[in-house]
Formats: sequence, structure tokens, C-alpha cells
Amino acid sequence: MTQDVQLSIRGMRKSFERKKVITPVLADISFDIYERDFVSVIGPSGCGKTTVFNIIAGLLESDAGTMVYRGETVSSLRGRIGYMMQKDLLFPWRTVLQNVLLGLQVRGTPLKAAEDTAREYLARFGLTGFENAFPATLSGGMRQRVALIRTLIMDPDILLLDEPFSALDYQTRLYLEGVLLDAVALFNKTVILITHDIDEAVALSKRVVVLSGRPTSVKAEHVIEIDRRTPIDARSDPRFSDYFHTLCGELDIQTRRDAA
Amino acid sequence: MSIAVTTKATRKEAAAGAIRKPRRANLFDTALGRAALQILAVVAVLGAWQIGASQGWISAFLVGAPLGIGADFFSGMADGSLPYDTWITLYEAILGFVIGTILGSAVGLSLWYSVFLARLTEPFIVALNSVPKIALAPIVILWFGTGLVSKVALAVSMTALVALIAAYQGAKDADRDLQSLMVSMGANKRQVFFGVVVPSTVPVIISTFRINIGFGLVGAVVGEFMSSKRGLGHMIYEASGLYDLNTVWMGLFMLMALGFVLYHLIDMVERRLLPWKLDSGRQQIQI
Repeated sequence: MTQDVQLSIRGMRKSFERKKVITPVLADISFDIYERDFVSVIGPSGCGKTTVFNIIAGLLESDAGTMVYRGETVSSLRGRIGYMMQKDLLFPWRTVLQNVLLGLQVRGTPLKAAEDTAREYLARFGLTGFENAFPATLSGGMRQRVALIRTLIMDPDILLLDEPFSALDYQTRLYLEGVLLDAVALFNKTVILITHDIDEAVALSKRVVVLSGRPTSVKAEHVIEIDRRTPIDARSDPRFSDYFHTLCGELDIQTRRDAA
Repeated sequence: MSIAVTTKATRKEAAAGAIRKPRRANLFDTALGRAALQILAVVAVLGAWQIGASQGWISAFLVGAPLGIGADFFSGMADGSLPYDTWITLYEAILGFVIGTILGSAVGLSLWYSVFLARLTEPFIVALNSVPKIALAPIVILWFGTGLVSKVALAVSMTALVALIAAYQGAKDADRDLQSLMVSMGANKRQVFFGVVVPSTVPVIISTFRINIGFGLVGAVVGEFMSSKRGLGHMIYEASGLYDLNTVWMGLFMLMALGFVLYHLIDMVERRLLPWKLDSGRQQIQI
């Protein structure tokens, strides 16, 4: 299967300096993202997963390395990506509708057209009737759904999802994973997902990139070949368990009792 | 087919058709009960004061007496001098408060724009803030005369720095993640400023309103003490020179009433400006 590379990251390096002490975080990160890919990035906590995202999003500058986006060398994908984090980051002073509009307003879309699009998206994700509610009155799952719509409505080339569901309960999370997969299929999106949840990584992604501990480099890449219509289907696939244990092994997590 | 699960308690409640009423701490813990207690307290204090003064236990000459204060109040209302003085002081205080708050907030917010400028001006702001603003009163009167402008200027000097420091702190504390989110969407500095920094600073600025409306009154009254022909401050100052304690008290009570009304006015403004804050954080937990 030949696939076109959408984003290629080569030799990304980053260290942080605090009180004259230089801590290398990213030693050498290189990986490719294909068109309409769904890649999960996993790794031990504190290994700099979010730093990689911040560099891609243009919130941080890398010390070295190159990013090539559809054949063109870029310094960041600022404005071309949709960034979604663990915290829903809804603006408390904006209503649901106004929150969804945020990205379009930044872009300067005429208000009328933006509002029409926003209402359409809200309807598609079952949030009609909540347009004028403030985020404080919504449940965690609904807030994260609004955040997802806010990300999708900008029609970004790549979705950067940084543990978007990790603060939710398991039921809500399964539900939102399904919503995400449907949306990605519907809008033909490329997704890079950071997660600490191996189960989620296997259930959702086509490929998994495993990072090492700090200073971080790419330890392994796995292709997940699972027939996946919904996240629940994926979890009942016979190969699911093998992938799960392999990835746990990569992260040095003991999954068998005899290991102790 | 449905499954019905009924416990004894729910059945009993259903039978009684009643929803359990929230438990109250005591009989007086209602709006009416509290008001009754509050009025009772005022009446008791005023009553004791009046009896003490008319029995000669305390000197009516040095502390005044409620009935005398009441008489002064009615004559002041009748000849229109009291409403006029009150209006003048209110006008000066509000004008000073509004100008000071707008000026201070605007400067404080704009310091967010330039970290360089903020660091450069910080020691000067601290120095200015540490001057007791009342001490400026003589100069302000020299510069702005004895009329309205000097009182407003004094009120502005009292309120502006409070608003400035609060606004700058609020702007600095604006959520980094929300700003990052906007930047990742491709927002420029102006969009981040108006999209995140200003709205998240508004509650901080509003929280200074309560302090600053008081400072506005202080500025107005002190200005009137220094030199003026009208206003509650002038009235109090003049009356105390004549040992007319009843009029002094009346002026103080009017100032108290003004502060009280303004405080509730600010409550209303807050509710209007921050509808998104209403649903959370208003209720104290029950311990």
C-alpha cells in the first residue's frame, strides 16, 4: 500500500532551560504522518509528547529539525491545525454557539455565514437547544463535545488531540471515541492523538508511535490492523489483545502476573 | 413492561404527596426574619442612645441625639439643602469613580501588550501607589481650584491606581491555555487581547468596583473638607466647627446610605455584565 506523506518530522530536538540548568527533552524525533492517517503517540509520562504538539502547533520553537508539510518546509502548522486538549478550554464567558464560532471569528469569516455553519455542526452533534447555554452549565462530556466541534468547524488539515478524553468517565469516553471516529471518517481528517491509554490507542488508531523516556526519541512504530467500525468493535477484535500486550511491553509495563 | 422499585421511604413520601422541605437553621433565617432582626438592632441602638441623651447619662452636646438628627433631617429635606448636598457629593464620587476606573483599567490592560513597558513602569506605579492619595489634596486644590473638578480629580487619584493594578494583574493572570488555543488557531496579538485577556480581566476589574466606589466617596468628601461651598463633606465639616453634632451625624448617615445604595447598584451591574458567572460560585457550601 503506497500512501502519500502529509507531514514529515525529521530530527526534532528541544531542550528547556530553567535556572541555568539545561534539560534535554526531545533528543531526536522523526516520524511521518500520511494523508488521512490516524496516529497515536504513546510514551512514558513526562517524555515530551505535549512538547512535540506545541512545536507542531507553533506554540514552541524547536532547537533543531525540520518539518515538511505536503512537500513544503514549514516552521509550524499554526492556523492549519485543530488543537484539542485534556481540558476542554471552553471560554466561560462565551455561550456554546459563541465558543464554536471562535476559530471562524479568528479567521475573519463573516458572522452570518459562521453562525449558520456553527448551527449546522451543533445539530449534527446533537447539541441543538444548547446554543445559548454557558459552559458552566454543561456536563463534562458535553463540554468536550463542544470543544471537538470547535476544532472540527475550522476544517483543519490535521487534528492534534492531546489526551482529549482522559478526564472523562469510561462510558462518556467510549461514546466520544465513537463520535470522533465518525467525524474523522465524515470529514476525511488526519489525526494525531496523544494518549496514555494504550487501550484507546489500539482501539482508535491505524498506527501507533511509541516514544522512549527522556531524552526522547521514537522507540518503535506499530501498524494496527484491526477491522474497526466503532471503538467497541475494535476492542472485541481477536488481535486487540496482542497489540495491547505488545505496546505495554514497549512501555515496560508488566502485563503478566508471572513477571513479578 | 416496566420494573418498579419502591422503597418504604419513597412510598411514604408519595403517599403524603410532599417533597421534603430544606431544613432551616432557625426561625429567623428568612428574608423577612433577617430584616426584622436588623431593624430591631437599629431601633435598639437608637433607642438606647436617645434615652441616654435625654436622661443626661451621655452628653447630647458631644454625641448628639437621634431625635435631633431626625429633626435636622426633616428640615434639611424641607428646604432642599440636604438632597442638594447629597446629590453634589454623589455626582463627584461617581464621576471620579467612573473616570478613575476607565483610565486605570485601560492603562493596566494595555501594559499586557508590552512586557518591556510593564517592567519599565512597574517601580513608578508602586511608588505612586504607596503615596497616601489624601496627601495630594492640597496640590489638587491648587491645580484644579475649589470647584467640582478638584473633587473629581481627587476621587480619580484614589480609584485609578487600584483599578490599574488590578487590571494589570488580571491581564497577567489570563489563562495561558486559552491564549495558546487562540494562537494555534492563527490568532494575532490583538485577537488574543480582545478574545482572552480583556474578557478574563473584566471580573477582576468589577471586583475593584466595591472598594473603589468607597474610595470615590472618600475623594469627594476629603475634597469638600478642604474647600467647598456644597456637598455632604462641606456640611459635616462646617457643622463640626459649630459643635452641631446632630448635623454631623446626619451627614455621616447620608454618606452611609449613599455607600449602601451604590454597593447594591454595583451588584446589579455585575449581574448584568457577568451572566456566565451567576450559575457558579454564588452558593456557600453548608457545613
